[in-house]
Amino acid sequence: MISQFFILSSKGDPLIYKDFRGDSGGRDVAELFYRKLTGLPGDESPVVMVTSGGKRHHDGRHFIHIRHSSLYLVVTTSENVSPFSLLELLSRLATLLGDYCGSLGEGTISRNVALVYELLDEVLDYGYVQTTSTEMLRNFIQTEAVVSKPFSLFDLSSVGLFGAETQQSKVAPSSAASRPVLSSRSDQSQKNEVFLDVVERLSVLIASNGSLLKVDVQGEIRLKSFLPSGSEMRIGLTEEFCVGKSELRGYGPGIRVDEVSFHSSVNLDEFESHRILRLQPPQGELTVMRYQLSDDLPSPLPFRLFPSVQWDRGSGRTTLEPKPRPVSLNVRLHLPLPRGVVSLSQELSSPEQKAELADGALRWDLPQVQGGSQLSGLFQMDVPGPPGPPSHGLSTSASPLGLGPASLSFELPRHTCSGLQVRFLRLAFRPCGNANPHKWVRHLSHSDAYVIRI
Amino acid sequence: MTDSKYFTTTKKGEIFELKAELNSDKKEKKKEAVKKVIASMTVGKDVSALFPDVVNCMQTDNLELKKLVYLYLMNYAKSQPDMAIMAVNTFVKDCEDPNPLIRALAVRTMGCIRVDKITEYLCEPLRKCLKDEDPYVRKTAAVCVAKLHDINAQLVEDQGFLDTLKDLISDSNPMVVANAVAALSEIAESHPSSNLLDLNPQSINKLLTALNECTEWGQIFILDCLANYTPKDDREAQSICERVTPRLSHANSAVVLSAVKVLMKFMEMLSKDLDYYGTLLKKLAPPLVTLLSAEPELQYVALRNINLIVQKRPEILKHEMKVFFVKYNDPIYVKLEKLDIMIRLASQANIAQVLAELKEYATEVDVDFVRKAVRAIGRCAIKVEQSAERCVSTLLDLIQTKVNYVVQEAIVVIKDIFRKYPNKYESVIATLCENLDSLDEPEARAAMIWIVGEYAERIDNADELLESFLEGFHDESTQVQLQLLTAIVKLFLKKPTETQELVQQVLSLATQDSDNPDLRDRGYIYWRLLSTDPVAAKEVVLAEKPLISEETDLIEPTLLDELICYIGTLASVYHKPPSAFVEGGRGVVHKSLPPRTASSESAESPETAPTGAPPGEQPDVIPAQGDLLGDLLNLDLGPPVSGPPLATSSVQMGAVDLLGGGLDSLIGGTNFVAPPTAAVPANLGAPIGSGLSDLFDLTSGVGTLSGSYVAPKAVWLPAMKAKGLEISGTFTRQVGSISMDLQLTNKALQVMTDFAIQFNRNSFGLAPAAPLQVHAPLSPNQTVEISLPLSTVGSVMKMEPLNNLQVAVKNNIDVFYFSTLYPLHILFVEDGKMDRQMFLATWKDIPNENEAQFQIRDCPLNAEAASSKLQSSNIFTVAKRNVEGQDMLYQSLKLTNGIWVLAELRIQPGNPSCTLSLKCRAPEVSQHVYQAYETILKN
Repeated sequence: MISQFFILSSKGDPLIYKDFRGDSGGRDVAELFYRKLTGLPGDESPVVMVTSGGKRHHDGRHFIHIRHSSLYLVVTTSENVSPFSLLELLSRLATLLGDYCGSLGEGTISRNVALVYELLDEVLDYGYVQTTSTEMLRNFIQTEAVVSKPFSLFDLSSVGLFGAETQQSKVAPSSAASRPVLSSRSDQSQKNEVFLDVVERLSVLIASNGSLLKVDVQGEIRLKSFLPSGSEMRIGLTEEFCVGKSELRGYGPGIRVDEVSFHSSVNLDEFESHRILRLQPPQGELTVMRYQLSDDLPSPLPFRLFPSVQWDRGSGRTTLEPKPRPVSLNVRLHLPLPRGVVSLSQELSSPEQKAELADGALRWDLPQVQGGSQLSGLFQMDVPGPPGPPSHGLSTSASPLGLGPASLSFELPRHTCSGLQVRFLRLAFRPCGNANPHKWVRHLSHSDAYVIRI
Repeated sequence: MTDSKYFTTTKKGEIFELKAELNSDKKEKKKEAVKKVIASMTVGKDVSALFPDVVNCMQTDNLELKKLVYLYLMNYAKSQPDMAIMAVNTFVKDCEDPNPLIRALAVRTMGCIRVDKITEYLCEPLRKCLKDEDPYVRKTAAVCVAKLHDINAQLVEDQGFLDTLKDLISDSNPMVVANAVAALSEIAESHPSSNLLDLNPQSINKLLTALNECTEWGQIFILDCLANYTPKDDREAQSICERVTPRLSHANSAVVLSAVKVLMKFMEMLSKDLDYYGTLLKKLAPPLVTLLSAEPELQYVALRNINLIVQKRPEILKHEMKVFFVKYNDPIYVKLEKLDIMIRLASQANIAQVLAELKEYATEVDVDFVRKAVRAIGRCAIKVEQSAERCVSTLLDLIQTKVNYVVQEAIVVIKDIFRKYPNKYESVIATLCENLDSLDEPEARAAMIWIVGEYAERIDNADELLESFLEGFHDESTQVQLQLLTAIVKLFLKKPTETQELVQQVLSLATQDSDNPDLRDRGYIYWRLLSTDPVAAKEVVLAEKPLISEETDLIEPTLLDELICYIGTLASVYHKPPSAFVEGGRGVVHKSLPPRTASSESAESPETAPTGAPPGEQPDVIPAQGDLLGDLLNLDLGPPVSGPPLATSSVQMGAVDLLGGGLDSLIGGTNFVAPPTAAVPANLGAPIGSGLSDLFDLTSGVGTLSGSYVAPKAVWLPAMKAKGLEISGTFTRQVGSISMDLQLTNKALQVMTDFAIQFNRNSFGLAPAAPLQVHAPLSPNQTVEISLPLSTVGSVMKMEPLNNLQVAVKNNIDVFYFSTLYPLHILFVEDGKMDRQMFLATWKDIPNENEAQFQIRDCPLNAEAASSKLQSSNIFTVAKRNVEGQDMLYQSLKLTNGIWVLAELRIQPGNPSCTLSLKCRAPEVSQHVYQAYETILKN
């Protein structure tokens, strides 16, 4: 069972401290945690830490923490409990605090100390988790969130996942994302807004001969709703969507995923027949559906990379060939280089790109890449010292140690690798007197680990 | 208005300012002041001086303010216990508030105030809240019992809270059930010997039902509780597995892992030939794979668990090698875990793939990871023999890179490969020797020296190589020094002529110039060996070495089995049993996987099946159960009582009752089938008591009359708990007399004599009417059947449950205690027929709140058959009506102590369930009468 919970700022100052069982040595445990974390050797896992030695009171205390928005959320326990439930709890708490306080940050937490304690009291009793559902907690929470500043439509500084994306034609006010879901009950002017995101993470591994070793896509459909809870909505997915290896739908190859899991509030009555998810979401964020597919991607990979390396002087040419997709944003190629490389000369195909050496690696930034284009970069560098393979006359194909693998990171707006689309989002809800609710639906793919071996 | 100003600097008068604000008349101002106090408390300022002022704010109807004050109280009550008592009255009052939120808040906060004095005030409110109508209050109260138990365990037992908590397991609200299970599990952990959470098929069924309705967090409590249960055979294990499997696709990883734990544990009981076993294996893989797409923290914890699962059952994930491939952006701790699992999954089928991956890893940047990757290649070679050659050539490729740490690591693993496959790959020695100069790590140097010494006869310049090491002998680490000493001695034994000088040099370095005792001793041993008997020295030093084992890093099987029971807990992350890191006595009960029991066996030997608790689970007969102890000390058993008499509920049967499953579980629920042993006389030709005269009036048209229902004999006291004496028995009622039919079996090796029996005081004054007569001594393996007549004139004490009977049996060996439940219908007397007018009057007279209604399911009897069945057990039909197609039977019965119970049984033709309404002036018997009804009607 959980003994203590605390939130530390990025500098290790306690913002929230709660003791559930009175079996602890007091609040200096928080300091102990921070010292231990910062002094941890590189290859040890920070996930689960145990105190030993030291002062008698803190012996055998286990710390489990996550880092969220530069805060440390930590629980301690002295029993053999499930670290999974603690980690899940911490991430739920992060969401909850975000829902209630607007956003999770040092400022919002210290402005809302009383609210946070009240929440903690309802979520955890004597270290047993009671509930983490925003909806259920609404019945119990009395304190109202203190919001820092009035919302401004013009404040586009913080662009979060649910915030605006400047490239899109429609711009959602960014403050929408950082406003408490459960803002004051008296506030009737509250906007009726729904954000629906289909987000996919792509991880790819390509061997040096160009063959695909591994592909997998992890996707989720996330919803953030400001509608009064209990209002029903229907989300229509691509009709050719099939689950599992065998199922076939539609005429084409279909959109196939290996596994799907749904949030418990989703009603699947119409899923089999029409691929429609029905749900009555509580206010706040929730992951409606999670899915994954591996090995068999229906669409071609978004990028191809043709690296070639010559070893006389240490020069390499890298050609990047994006597939005809609308645009990719923030593309970055990261290529670790052998130790000791200091100088780099470059020839790039367009002026807005940038390449530089950082932390023993080459970084090639391409802020925006048009689909179907081909981009190339030629990099030359000097590798000092004798341990270069050419001196031994080995074949040049043997990759020198420390070079590669190249990895790409990117974002593909309005694109899903699996091909899954949201056909429609319909609300059964009729707001009383207010304008129609705003619905924001987005599709986004980004790289998790897109690795090309050299 | 923002709270941020609360964090401004401390001025001298801050406390005074706050004090003034707290005593303000305005509610808003008070509230803001308490918020400020709490903000100060959080940043560690001492605001305990404000205690009385804050407590003054407590009496408010503003819930928000109340919550804030309570928050403060929880924090400071410990340091100001006297002040805390001031708050008690408000707490007690709040526990009766019409608002359930306030009731719950009060009881929750009181539990958190860890002051001894407050506990006595807490008991009454807590008792009320445990029976509150609002589930939110009940679930809070359930947790509060655990809190109170932590402060004062004795008090909780004395006040009977544990029983109430057990009742809550059958609550209608799943949240309450989950909290009750959590609280009981924790309390049970601190008393490993108590039977608090004794699980049986009935309670398991309840938990499985609650599982489907609970929140995700409640599901975790319940699944963890299920994992502690041992099914009695493979069929039960399978049916539990089937009901747990859907949890595998839950979005909460903790639920998934708890389900995996239950499945991994119960799978142990399933036969591998079963189709279901294969299905289960297939179902386990996807959820484990899914965990690997979570955030790195969860991934790490998941990988540590998968590492255990893979060692226990590699077949689950054998086709999933690819998911363990390392991603470049994985944190190092995730990478290392993945690497370890890859090796464990490596087999001939996938070794090519694995090696290609490992080779890639070995060229990465991160030094730690590269080293581990190189080691992994060596481990592959040792694990998969067919791949050894490939591994060696991969290692040679890596040595060619000349990168210092790669070369050193490669040499260390090649040494192991030589040990595993001697005389196979020695051709590579030349390449190794080229790199001699670049070795600077002790482990690599020692490995290289070992190779040179071992293969000295094949290396032309072995003496030169070793001599070069010898120059800086005293600067080397011990590991290298020892290795060098042995290598040179080996060299000398192989090439004695050229190396005499060298060996003398090393021996004198080791013995005379070293202050390391290990080194000195080894030096002397070699020296003496060489000087006394060179042939013997050769036999010793050059003896054939045992091959190194395939995987030296596997977790020891018994530890692995224990860790499997702890999947999804910290133990599975540390790979250590909980006793190694949990303080105190909590949670250190050793767990083991259940033994495999086939259901076919249990069908053949019904006697042993129900006692199938695995050995070691309940090792001793004498758990400390204070409340039972007190009662049994009153027993008078005659002189041979030795040692403190202690009692326990005897078998799983007895344990059933503790969870409130009651009588039906004892009789109807147990699946072992034994034919009713004691047949009741079919014809009542013998004298019939006056009360029986009515009996034939009603039943004349009905077929044979067969006396009161007799349950099959159940084991009450297993032999393992009673030094070889096994007692099974049942209760009968024949012609107005009650008897206890006992079967005593001697399973010990010695003869048993001098039997005696005594009952503890009980609810209906049951007592033996005659001494226990066992005429001849009971020799080993002999069984004797005895019918012990009972009277109902013994002393009376209300028991919980009502029909609980505690029995002591003595023989020449010792005194043994067990408790059992008797079916209530043995107490139904023959003159229990009430006349119609009387019935009507009494029915009206008994208040409505005493009426209890029950459903009897699966009882497809018509009114006639039911009536006659019940009559044979002395439940008499007073009148019969037909209302709207339903048959209504009005019945009466009387207990031995004169209590009348009136019943209305509604039977709908064609519907297998019937409804029973009971009215009685002592409503607590209703539950048991209902169970008796059910038992009689179903048998």
